[in-house]
Parts: sequence; C-alpha cells; structure tokens
Amino acid sequence: MTTPETAPIVELREVSKTIGGKTIIDRLSFDVPRGEVFGFLGPNGAGKTTTIRMMVGLMAMSGGDIRIGGSSIRRDFERAIRHVGAIVENPEMYKFMSGYRNLLHYARMMPGIGEARIREVVELVGLENRIHDRVKTYSLGMRQRLGIAQALLHRPAVLILDEPTNGLDPAGIRELRDHLRVLTREIGLSVIVSSHLLAEMELMCDRVAIIQHGRLVAVRPVKEFADAADVRQVRIEVDRGAAAKALLEGTAANGGNGSGSGDFGVELDGNELTLALDREAAAEVNRRLVEGGIKVYGLQLAGKSLEEQFLEMTGDEPIA
Amino acid sequence: MSRLLNLLRNETMKIYVRPRTWILVGLLVVLVCTASAFMHKAPEEQAGGLGWQAAVRQSVEAAKQDLEDPGVPDARKRQLRSDIAVGEYSLAHHVPPLQTTMWGGVQSASSLIPLATLFTVIIAGDMVAGEFTWGTIKLLLIRPASRSKILLAKYMATLLFAVALLVILLITALIVNGLLYGFAQAGMPYLKTTAEGAVRESSMLLYILQTYGLKLVELVMVVTLAFMISTVFRSASLAIGLSIFIMFAGQIISFMLLRYSWGKYFLFANTDLTVYLDGQPPAEGMTAGFSVMVLLLYFLVFNVLSWEIFRRRDVAA
Repeated sequence: MTTPETAPIVELREVSKTIGGKTIIDRLSFDVPRGEVFGFLGPNGAGKTTTIRMMVGLMAMSGGDIRIGGSSIRRDFERAIRHVGAIVENPEMYKFMSGYRNLLHYARMMPGIGEARIREVVELVGLENRIHDRVKTYSLGMRQRLGIAQALLHRPAVLILDEPTNGLDPAGIRELRDHLRVLTREIGLSVIVSSHLLAEMELMCDRVAIIQHGRLVAVRPVKEFADAADVRQVRIEVDRGAAAKALLEGTAANGGNGSGSGDFGVELDGNELTLALDREAAAEVNRRLVEGGIKVYGLQLAGKSLEEQFLEMTGDEPIA
Repeated sequence: MSRLLNLLRNETMKIYVRPRTWILVGLLVVLVCTASAFMHKAPEEQAGGLGWQAAVRQSVEAAKQDLEDPGVPDARKRQLRSDIAVGEYSLAHHVPPLQTTMWGGVQSASSLIPLATLFTVIIAGDMVAGEFTWGTIKLLLIRPASRSKILLAKYMATLLFAVALLVILLITALIVNGLLYGFAQAGMPYLKTTAEGAVRESSMLLYILQTYGLKLVELVMVVTLAFMISTVFRSASLAIGLSIFIMFAGQIISFMLLRYSWGKYFLFANTDLTVYLDGQPPAEGMTAGFSVMVLLLYFLVFNVLSWEIFRRRDVAA
C-alpha cells in the first residue's frame, strides 16, 4: 500500500471504450502524480475528450477502470468524483441565473459547502463586482472565471480541464494560465489539461501524455530540469571525444573558476559529448575546450521542443 | 434525504428564476379570471328572474313527472330520485344549488385544468432536454449525486410545479367567483345522497378537491409522458409538441381505437376516471380497476424508460 500523499491522484488502468464495434480508446494506462500539471495531448479524434469524459463519469467505460484519489469512478462514483473539479469544454452555465446562483446550485450538491466558501472562490477568481449579475451579461473571460470558481468550490484534489483555451483570445488564455499557476503552486492542486495548442501545453504542463488512435504513445516530462528553465541538453561535436571529456571533468574536479564550474554530467558517444548546460555555461565549456586544444565542430541543443517530439511520435498528422 | 432535498431546491430554483415561468403563471390567472367572468350568470338571468327556489321547485316537479313514465330505465330512475331528494332538501334547508353560487364557478374552473397541464408540459419538456441544449448537463452530472437522484429531483420539481399551478388555479377561481357570486354561500355544504336515498351534507371544499383530484390523473400522465420524451430524445420541442398533440387528440384517437378490442389499452381511453362514477364505461369490459391498472402500467413504463436511459446515457456532445 502506498501512502495517500505519494499515490497518484488519478490512475488509469487498461481503460477501453468501444462505440458501435469501433474501438475509440484502447487499453489506456497511466498515472497522474499529485501536485503536477499534467497535459493530455493528441491529434483531433485521438480520444482526448472521450478519455476525460470517462474520467469524470460522463461516459461509461467499456473496460478497465479509473481511480481518483483511490476510489473507482465506476464502482464508487460519488466518492471518486468528490476529488474532482472539472470544466469539460466551455464552462456552460445557466445563463438565466446570476453567477452567484450558479455557484449556489453546485454548492448544494456537495455537503459542507456554505456561503462563506462561495464568497471565497468568487474572490479568488475576482468576480466580486459582477457575481449577482446574470451570466448572460458576462464576457467569455468572465464565464471562464466562473467556470474555474465552480470547479474549485468543493476544494478538489484534481482539476480536470478539457480544451480550456477553446474560444479564448490570447489575453484570456494568459489569464487562465496565470490562474492555473497560482492554483498549482499555492494550493497544491493537481491539474489535468487537454489541449491541442502545443505551445500552451509547453508553458503550462510539467508532464504530458501523448495519445494517438486511442492508444498511449508516451508520457514525457515537458522540461528535463524542472526549475532552472534555461538548462538544456547540449550536444558538442569535437575531434577527440575522450580527451574533451577528461578535460571537462578535470576542470570540474579542480573547482574550475567562476560560473560554469561543477559537474555537467558529461556523456560521451564517439566524438559527441552531451552535457546539461545553461547559456553561459555553454559558452564557458566551449572556451575551455578550445583553450585545451580541442577542435569544436558544432554545438547544438539536443532537447527538442514539445512540438518536434509530438510530430516525431504521432507522424505528420495535423494537431489542431 | 437532505441531499435529495438540496437537489430539489436546485431544480425548483431553475424553474422559478426564469421569467417565462412567471409569464405562464400570470397567463393562468388571467385566463381563469376571464373564463369565470364569461361563465358567470347574473342572478336575474336564472330561472327567468324568479330566484333559485322557483327554479329548483320546477325541476323537482319535472323529475317527479318523468318518474311516472314506466319507460324510464332503472339507472335513470335512481338518478331522478336522488335529484328530487336533493332538491327538496335544499328547499327545506335553504341550500341553493351549486350552479347559482361561487362554488359552481369554482367547479367549472376545473375545466381549465388542461391549461395547467399544458403549462406544466412546457416546463417538463425543458427539464432534461434543456440541460443538454445548454450544455449544463456536463457540469451537473460531475457532482457527488447519482444520476437517478438528479432525475428524481427533476421529476419531483415538475410535479410540484403542476401542484403549484393547480393551487393557483383553485385560489384564483375561489377569489374571482367569490367576487362574482358573492361570498355569502362560501360556507354552504355539498349535498349528496347515500345508497339508501337519504340526503347528507358534506364538505364543499372536499367535493371540489375531489373534482380537481380526478382531473389530476390526466395531468400526471401527460406530464410524465412529456418528461419521458424530454429525457429520451433530449428535445424540448419534441417533448412539448408531441405530448400536447397527444393530449388534445387523445379523446379523438381513443374514440377511434375503441372500435377495436385492444383500444381499451390506449392511455387516453383510461385517463378520465369520472366515467366510472356515473357507471358508463367507455367500452365493454372496462372497469375502474382495469383503468387504474392500465394507468399504472403506462406510468411505470414512462418512468422506467426515462430512468434507465438517463442513467446509462453517455454525455458525448
């Protein structure tokens, strides 16, 4: 048994969905770790939305199971769904009611959520001034914020967003992204987000699962090094690989001088070195190699952008 | 239980927050007032201005004459004897006939119940289909409440709306007819004859409620049908259109179908239970028990269909 703190918040096990004899989702299995922004990526028709709808119980699974916070969405729906706040596609609200009444409606469906909590989430998304107006009069950005408010109302452990940026202008997308960042960093919420906007996913996610034709292609961390965002894998082509490696490791052991010093984690493959470096360190390494009498033929970033990885894995199928 | 109550509060909130609900309520009040005013007969028009006593005396005499005719069937004779007894009792105890008082107006207003049915069908048609059209179904079903409970709350809210309309109809009819006929006879009893032919006084309000209650059967069936169509086809217009068509065409359709032996299983051949009070079944072999069974069967089929389909449906679009 794993402790609740380290167990994945969402676990998919052999999840399948067939509609009319056609397999839409084929034995999908992966875990979503707690406290991460988890992206769900795939070409149109790959089954992203279907998978998300099975996660929240809007669609039934043909096989397999999904556990949220340890409870099966299939057999113990009411307990499992308590952990989930979700926006499936656009946050569609009752337009004829005020934002407040919309929230009251959802608050009543969950025990222990009172007016104080409603006020709290309204403040969190910054809708205090308009909350008693009818949703009909809201802008799309405001509706999106109300959507986030309803998803957070019951203090869920995981937020599931299906194509949340659909129909939003760049400012709205940015606003949403900022909100998500606050939520994950400050409240420690896990987020599952599906999108077809690769650049957005790259900015938002810690990890992405890529699916195609209803099958899992890969689960990848978006950045190899979580914090110092600028550190990338750098490939250096030299004339004498072994000597270059020895030189770099030697300077590291001697303490070096100033900025670029330290263990670069040098890997050697023929005459190609692979190191984890930021911009300044790359220049420093280059200088040392040249000063050490080693010819440097080329120096390039080995880390591929998410888009390159994605296209590599899914072929050249259009994304959007 | 408190959870179901909360769901019910949600569903009623969604009904009453919409302006169109209040337009329907207002329309019902206006129509009841108008219809009552049209049906109202001024006292001087009754029995050529001689007052109700003279009119009752006349009809008692006429009934007695009819009774002497040997060709009159037994059932009619029983009816005539009861009429005579009630007439004589009302003369002796100064109880005017129903039709000359506010209660007659209130009773006639029960013919407006199909209007309440119509308005409830409009609400029922939107009850489930609306959530799908608005897209709100996606946010509604991802809460810790089972689909069965949500559907039950919706059905209960619909029936409560029907009850609210009936209460509004009754209260409006009471006030308007009270103003038209005067409240003087508000406390009058309802006269009925026992099996032995004796006249008894009973509560007028209870009698009126009974009249309304029997008409409730059709309302519940039509509304349940609309609710079922709304749930199964997710189309409010289909639910409203089809149920209202069936309701208004129901009598004609059942009249045509009753020529066949299976016609008696048609829903609208059974919705009017008042026919069994007069002892005139619409077709051979139909009894009150039969009709109640058929109604129950339809009721179950409609509800099981709604429930099963709502519970299993994949919310895809």
